[in-house]
Amino acid sequence: MGTSVQVTPLSGVYNENPLSYLVSIDGFNFLIDCGWNDHFDPSLLQPLSKVASKIDAVLISYGDMLHLGALPFAMKQFGLNAPVFSTEPVYRLGLLTMYDQSFSRKAVSEFDLFSLDDIDSAFQNFTRLTYSQNHHLSGKGEGIVIAPHVAGHLLGGTVWKITKDGEDVVYAVDFNHRKERHLNGTVLESFYRPAVLITDAYNALNSQPSRQQRDKQFLETILKTLEGGGNVLIPVDSAGRVLELLLILEHFWGQRFLNSPIFFLSYVSSSTIDYIKSFLEWMSDSIAKSFETSRDNAFLMKHVTLLIGKEDLDNASTGPKVVLASVASLEAGFSHDIFAEWAADVKNLVLFTERGQFGTLARMLQADPPPKAVKMTMSRRVPLVGDELIAYEEEQKRLKREEELKASLIKEEELKVSHGPENNLSDPMVIDSGNTHPPLDVVGSRGSGHRDVLIDGFVPPSTSVAPMFPFYENSLEWDEFGEVINPDDYVVQDEDMDQSTMHVGGDIDGKFDEGSASLILDTKPSKVVSNELTVQVKCSLIYMDYEGRSDGRSIKSILTHVAPLKLVLVHGSAEATEHLKQHFLNIKNVQVYAPQIEETIDVTSDLCAYKVQLSEKLMSNVLFKKLGDYEVAWVDAEVGKTENDMLSILPISSPAPPHKPVLVGDLKMADFKQFLASKGVQVEFAGGALRCGEYVTLRKVGNPSQKGGTSGTQQIIIEGPLCEDYYKIREYLYSQFYLL
Amino acid sequence: MLFACSFHLDHAASLPYFLEKTTFRGRVFMTHATKAIYKLLLADYVKVSKVSVEDMLFDEKDINHSMDKIESGAQGFSLLGSCPSAVKQERQALCYAWHFKLINLSVTDPYKVIDFHQTVDVNGIKFWCYTAGHVLGAAMFMVDIAGVRVLYTGDYSREEDRHLRAAEMPQFSPDICIIESTYGVQLHQPRHLREKRFTDVIHSTLSQGGRVLIPAFALGRAQELLLILDEYWSNHPELHNIPIYYASPLAKRCMTVYQTYILSMNERIRNQFANSNPFKFKHISPLNSIEDFVDVGPSVVMASPSGLQSGLSRQLFDMWCSDKKNACVIPGYVVVGTLAKTIINEPKETSTFLKELMPPNIILVHGEATEMGRLKQKLITEFADGNTKIITPKNCQSVEMYFNSEKMAKTIGKMAERTPDVSETVNGILVKKGFTYQIMAPEDLHVFSQLSTGNITQRISIPFSGAFGVIKHRLEQIYESVESGTDEESGSPTLHVHELVTVKQESDRHISLQWSADPISDMVSDSVVALVLNISREVPKVIVEAEDLKSVEENRKKAEKVIYALLVSLFGDVKLGENGKLIVSVDGNVAELDKQSGDVESENEGLKERVRTAFRRIQSAAWLTLKKQQILCEISSGTRAQETRGTAAQLIKEEGAVNKSISTHEIDFQRYDFLIHYLLEFGMNMCASLDLQFSGNHV
Repeated sequence: MGTSVQVTPLSGVYNENPLSYLVSIDGFNFLIDCGWNDHFDPSLLQPLSKVASKIDAVLISYGDMLHLGALPFAMKQFGLNAPVFSTEPVYRLGLLTMYDQSFSRKAVSEFDLFSLDDIDSAFQNFTRLTYSQNHHLSGKGEGIVIAPHVAGHLLGGTVWKITKDGEDVVYAVDFNHRKERHLNGTVLESFYRPAVLITDAYNALNSQPSRQQRDKQFLETILKTLEGGGNVLIPVDSAGRVLELLLILEHFWGQRFLNSPIFFLSYVSSSTIDYIKSFLEWMSDSIAKSFETSRDNAFLMKHVTLLIGKEDLDNASTGPKVVLASVASLEAGFSHDIFAEWAADVKNLVLFTERGQFGTLARMLQADPPPKAVKMTMSRRVPLVGDELIAYEEEQKRLKREEELKASLIKEEELKVSHGPENNLSDPMVIDSGNTHPPLDVVGSRGSGHRDVLIDGFVPPSTSVAPMFPFYENSLEWDEFGEVINPDDYVVQDEDMDQSTMHVGGDIDGKFDEGSASLILDTKPSKVVSNELTVQVKCSLIYMDYEGRSDGRSIKSILTHVAPLKLVLVHGSAEATEHLKQHFLNIKNVQVYAPQIEETIDVTSDLCAYKVQLSEKLMSNVLFKKLGDYEVAWVDAEVGKTENDMLSILPISSPAPPHKPVLVGDLKMADFKQFLASKGVQVEFAGGALRCGEYVTLRKVGNPSQKGGTSGTQQIIIEGPLCEDYYKIREYLYSQFYLL
Repeated sequence: MLFACSFHLDHAASLPYFLEKTTFRGRVFMTHATKAIYKLLLADYVKVSKVSVEDMLFDEKDINHSMDKIESGAQGFSLLGSCPSAVKQERQALCYAWHFKLINLSVTDPYKVIDFHQTVDVNGIKFWCYTAGHVLGAAMFMVDIAGVRVLYTGDYSREEDRHLRAAEMPQFSPDICIIESTYGVQLHQPRHLREKRFTDVIHSTLSQGGRVLIPAFALGRAQELLLILDEYWSNHPELHNIPIYYASPLAKRCMTVYQTYILSMNERIRNQFANSNPFKFKHISPLNSIEDFVDVGPSVVMASPSGLQSGLSRQLFDMWCSDKKNACVIPGYVVVGTLAKTIINEPKETSTFLKELMPPNIILVHGEATEMGRLKQKLITEFADGNTKIITPKNCQSVEMYFNSEKMAKTIGKMAERTPDVSETVNGILVKKGFTYQIMAPEDLHVFSQLSTGNITQRISIPFSGAFGVIKHRLEQIYESVESGTDEESGSPTLHVHELVTVKQESDRHISLQWSADPISDMVSDSVVALVLNISREVPKVIVEAEDLKSVEENRKKAEKVIYALLVSLFGDVKLGENGKLIVSVDGNVAELDKQSGDVESENEGLKERVRTAFRRIQSAAWLTLKKQQILCEISSGTRAQETRGTAAQLIKEEGAVNKSISTHEIDFQRYDFLIHYLLEFGMNMCASLDLQFSGNHV
């Protein structure tokens, strides 16, 4: 009857592995999220590789490793070739995150899973949407509408809503209902009864202190360390939660006139902040408002210095400082190196703001009690010297020679072919004659012309006995109007100005900081040197929850409120998943699923439905009653058919059969108490019941765990002796309901 | 709701006045960039406008306040009323030649700034906006009301320029397109040629040692010109020592807005932004006032106002106009300047845009009457197939269009387990949210909507010290079904009356009644209460009631009177005809009603149907009322019990039948003492509800 929906987890169920799920809707396959962890473990992607070619569209919800990390690799290796949808910040910050990861890895290892070009080409497939934009898919997905909605947690974070034939499939993971400094809370609560909700159990067992208390503690901990002459290291992600932390620090520093330096160190820090400044539309209302009224961009930070290389940090200052460095897991990047340096000093502090990924150094350090010492591999890229350099150069030369040889062979072949007289217009020597227009093209073609002359010109044609310049006859064609010309040569180039600027600016999509640029462009022969060392962990280690995800209690209440017909649980430890599953098994009207990896579950709605046309005749006799957003009415009607064979309903011809009256309304005892009080009735709560006046009591019975909209009919008992009050209160009670 | 399409004065200038000084309490929507610039622009405008304080319509305070209002969203309804299928479009000319566009619909929740393509849903009315080109933040609004789409274009430009996207072609063709008739820009030259002419003039003037003045409006196209100049300078190192100034504090203030809302601009700028912010000019600097300007040698100055009426541009013009080396470049396509030009030209852009869009209805706004007429003529020839309606309303003239959209409902849940065949009945709750309809069973209400149903159990205790058997006996005299039983918990005897009301002996001195609330049970329980109290009166006297003596004939007369009165209240003109028939005339249509049989004769089918239904309902209601009175008398007198029993049972059944008509009205329950009153009023209520239903149907 309904739309067929299947969900197959590819990674990230019953554990904290990266997220990746296959959702097919009437045969159209969505890959929702395509994450990888900081270990870059290809075995995790095994399930994805099997289905990659079947995927019709990819939806990305957040711009961090766990949600899009595997995208470049999958595009390159698994033949994943589908349009990708995300919001603008997810696209941009995701790109920066991938660059940062890639640089961090390249600096310390022969990282060859994907190159920067792979990242760029993967991100070219992105279609960027704005929040609440209904995007209608075409072709195979005709009839499917996808729309991103605010999710909180990270900038541009998305709750995906996929709609077909009025049935909603909602994918919401890692959302945050709390409003933060730079982000609004999620709008997940505004959805009601979607057919399927896919959500995570990651934080189901987590509880959080109040924001004020946490911020206070955060600041005090940092200040104590700084006063004690120690440094604070905060391992952060490249372009996600770090924004919130920067704003918090910036705010405190401004408020308390602190002058210890704050550094944000990542390979892409300055470009991240540059982009962030133009993403105000995506941030919280208060940030947008402050810009609209006073043009203060919250990310023009006075106290934070952006750094893109570790040398800058060493040069910057010697006193106590706060350093936010990527990557959060301490597995690589600047945070890894700084940790190794600072861990041995008792005065220092390493402040974790998010739970480390499973199996990473950060996770080990967050254990209780923390390890006394950890083994770390320190790697660095060093230029080759001495014998190694010579060997390398020789190898390179050899390769070059081979290539040249190959190239010259090919050229020779071509030359042989091009000797034919029919080809003399393509003669490289005459390129200047007719083609001075437009200048830009000439630059391009002249370049190749020169090369041809220099390289090929001196290759003796096999037919000649001695080396000689090639000569081609320059025959011009004439007709009755004169020389035959190619009109294209004289067309004024439309995008004249544009082209020139594009050349000036370069068209690499994505900006590199100079330091990082030198890193990739640096072709100096180098190798990776690594040595194992044991680092004594003496510094203080503290974990504070700045992950920006809803806590367990809120998750439950939000999900209860949303009340999906079918709930699919993914991502989260086995324990958390089981906990949440048990919680919802007790609730009526919600079916819970928690599939295993590669287990396909069918969550096709078993809802029966058919469509009818409401005839004008019937509607003019229906009296609606307004109840909040809804209008309700009882209809007794007769089924008929319209001209185009649609079912329609008409007014009933015979008297309607009696039906059991329905009382519609939601009685809140507290509200009713106020209502009665306003009518001059003495009311008080006593023993779970509402005592109205002297004799009458009012009680609501039913299962207390079924709050809100998911409960069935609410049972209200009114009791009292036969007296005037009884009838008065009953009348008030009736006034809270609509009788249908 | 009020939509502001762009920050230009002719679109948004009256906003503070409208929000602060009128009764408008709706919501205001605009894009981020529009809002940021709107504030700066108006604050500046208030400062520079040379109007005396009394003539000023609003001051800076009002602007700031209006910003807050946009932010927090005033609650309430727009006073102009709402009409879902007819979209009114109002244009007002305030003291200045400003106008604003208003689509009025009722509103409740607070306001939000919107982004391009973001769909906003207000009471089921959806709208979103497309990029319009023209200036930063300019938007075309598409409003979708129950499937009828209206596109309001505002100022738009179909040509992509240096920093803005061209106006988008909407994905769906709208049913109505409201379009400006002023903006039929003819493209005389391709963009790059115009740009080349522009830069060439400047370059040659400068190389001859002259100065260049560009009078331009501070915002909008000026930014485009600055981009061109900055780029040109970057590509021509020989010009690097010649300064470019833009002499407008307003433009300077707005520059941060341009530097921030890059995402509202085109791909080209966004790609450039990947390298450096193109609005952080390398060769252009702001100039605060003429005092700061050191006039030595060649320079380029862009100054406002564009018309050279006064201010800095005029001062510079006066200074420089005497030297023929100098040049004053008036950028012809700055919007203000083109207005006159476009009148001469063919309205090409508008018509090509409309041709691609093919809307069935076009409303032309904003433009002189003659010009509008010209455009209309042109459009009529272009859409010669005749299916396109073109309307040119005058100010304050509202356009009403009716769209007959088919209302579709989705039947879901238990009711939909089987798709019914023709002529089967469907009974359930029709739930309307926004413009979507669903039909469902009452049990499913909480499943598919956020509404919940309630069940009220009533328990009332009555002092009674007599024998329980007496109650049973008396009840049996009235009601057909009285079953004895015992309570499972206390073991005390109980009676079930028609499975609706349970009477239970609580102690020697009390009995209790328990039932779940609905009109029938309430009535039954009330009669039980009356009965019990009557027994308690110890001396059940036989009272000879006046009603007892009433003959059937009298009852009939009374019924007829009631029927007549009710018909008058419904249809107004009702006369007693010669043949004993009632003649009902409504709007010239006449229907004859036979009181006995209920047959109606009329030439108008609609009226016939209405009169028949009304009569049927009135008849049953009136009959019931009278019957009830009769029964009550009998109950209280305690006589003729055997005879009445059957009648009471029938009464309960009848009640079910009319339940439909009473169900739509809240029932005013009265205390048992006034049982008779209650029943009388009960009847009256039915009539009142009938009244409601019919008065709602007069078309």
